[in-house]
Amino acid sequence: MESIENRLGLVSFTVDSEPHIKLKEEKCDNCNLRICLYVCPAKLYREEEGKIYFNHEGCLECGTCRIACPEDLEWAYPRGGFGVHYQFG
Amino acid sequence: MDRFDAVVIGGGAAGLGAAYRMAENGLSVLLIERGENVGEKSVYGGRIYTWVFEEYVKGFKDAPVERWVKKERLTFLDERESVSIEYSSDRTCSFIAVLTKFNRWLAEKAEDAGALVVSGIKVEDVKLNPTKVVADGEEIECDAVVIAEGVNPVLSMKLGIRDDWKPEEIAVGVKEVFKFSESEINSRFDLNSEEGVANLFVGYPIFTHGGGFIYTNRDTVSVGVVVRVDSAMKNRIEVYDIAEKFRAHRDVTAFLKGGSMIEYSAHLVPEAGIKGVPDTLHKNSIIITGDTAGFVMNRGFTIRGVDFAFYSGILAADSIKEAMDRGDVNSAGHIYETKIRESFIMKELERFRKALDVLENTRFFDDYTKMMVGIMEGIFDVRKESNRLYDVIMEKTKGKKLRMAMDFLSAFRGL
Repeated sequence: MESIENRLGLVSFTVDSEPHIKLKEEKCDNCNLRICLYVCPAKLYREEEGKIYFNHEGCLECGTCRIACPEDLEWAYPRGGFGVHYQFG
Repeated sequence: MDRFDAVVIGGGAAGLGAAYRMAENGLSVLLIERGENVGEKSVYGGRIYTWVFEEYVKGFKDAPVERWVKKERLTFLDERESVSIEYSSDRTCSFIAVLTKFNRWLAEKAEDAGALVVSGIKVEDVKLNPTKVVADGEEIECDAVVIAEGVNPVLSMKLGIRDDWKPEEIAVGVKEVFKFSESEINSRFDLNSEEGVANLFVGYPIFTHGGGFIYTNRDTVSVGVVVRVDSAMKNRIEVYDIAEKFRAHRDVTAFLKGGSMIEYSAHLVPEAGIKGVPDTLHKNSIIITGDTAGFVMNRGFTIRGVDFAFYSGILAADSIKEAMDRGDVNSAGHIYETKIRESFIMKELERFRKALDVLENTRFFDDYTKMMVGIMEGIFDVRKESNRLYDVIMEKTKGKKLRMAMDFLSAFRGL
């Protein structure tokens, strides 16, 4: 099996310093569903000591979290020129 | 910045269709793409239906076609076994292409026709009265806007043109690309160099709405899985692992042995057919196209969207041209609505309205897939004694015959 980290290592990115997706901490704290933990194809959401963290580096810009999250996720595409560069889309 | 007749937002198939057509029609057109390179944010499985491109793009023979689809294979996949149905022909109506490369080629066509294509710039906003596009801190005035922003309708929602997708209306697809030599692919898939195979899979590993796919490019193979977002949520499917699970199946991995993975990607796919198309597709002279408008058709064994996207861009372009010729650019949206409703896109989506109900039925993805595999196993598993076909079918369909008959009848009618 190729780990998701290894697979993301194959993808070309220009990473912005600012994240383009922002979580609302209190809402995440109170969320029981935590769908983001398993639907993100890049596995960029993680749970640590009850809190949800998101790492925007490696975002494949699909929008699945935006659709699946029951809360109002602050979701945007990265700034122009940033983010993923697919070669074989 | 200069004023343009039209600004196109997004350098995918829809936006490029609109830009190309408007430039051909003599309009001044600016296409703005957020990716560093035009077309690089597009992801799909692998196949494009040919005729729209043949009809509307000059010099289509030079398109970056990887392989022409000469084999269509549908595979029912259970954990350890599979049943495949293959259709093979010397004729073809579709081709396999790498969409990012195909987009780049379309962008060259649009530029040759006179469109200005800029990339690496994200449109932040679209304003009405007067129509303006805001990007990179600048306001660009124009008569009309074609929104081809793709499946996440950020700007369209902001403008109130469409609502967001619900999880049951959309699927997430993940794709891995493997590098081989051209001859390896030929021998492994039993193809000649120009020929390709489109293989869709039902069943394992998700056994619910969605399925797997393999498309042969010239010297790469695209492999992946699509799963509806609501099903992924409900069944707690670890989306980051499904492509792996699928690929690890013996009947999938057999095609990929020795190849090296060179890219992993993910994208959303509209799956609501005609129900995913909003009632209105415009606001004044601002028009939505392609995935943004929901122009994707899933019949289970085929999925179609790139030609719809491109053609909706063509219709957007023609509507803007007509409206400008009338001296009433604000009528562009209305003209577009009419053109779309009368087009083959909406006729196709309408014709397959019932397919949505069929594909809603999870028994096709789970029970019937396992049943099909089970029947074949029953027939071919010969030990001391072998089973009669009749007995196998009776046993595997026990207590399910009526429901099955109804489901299959609906499938024949709907698909």
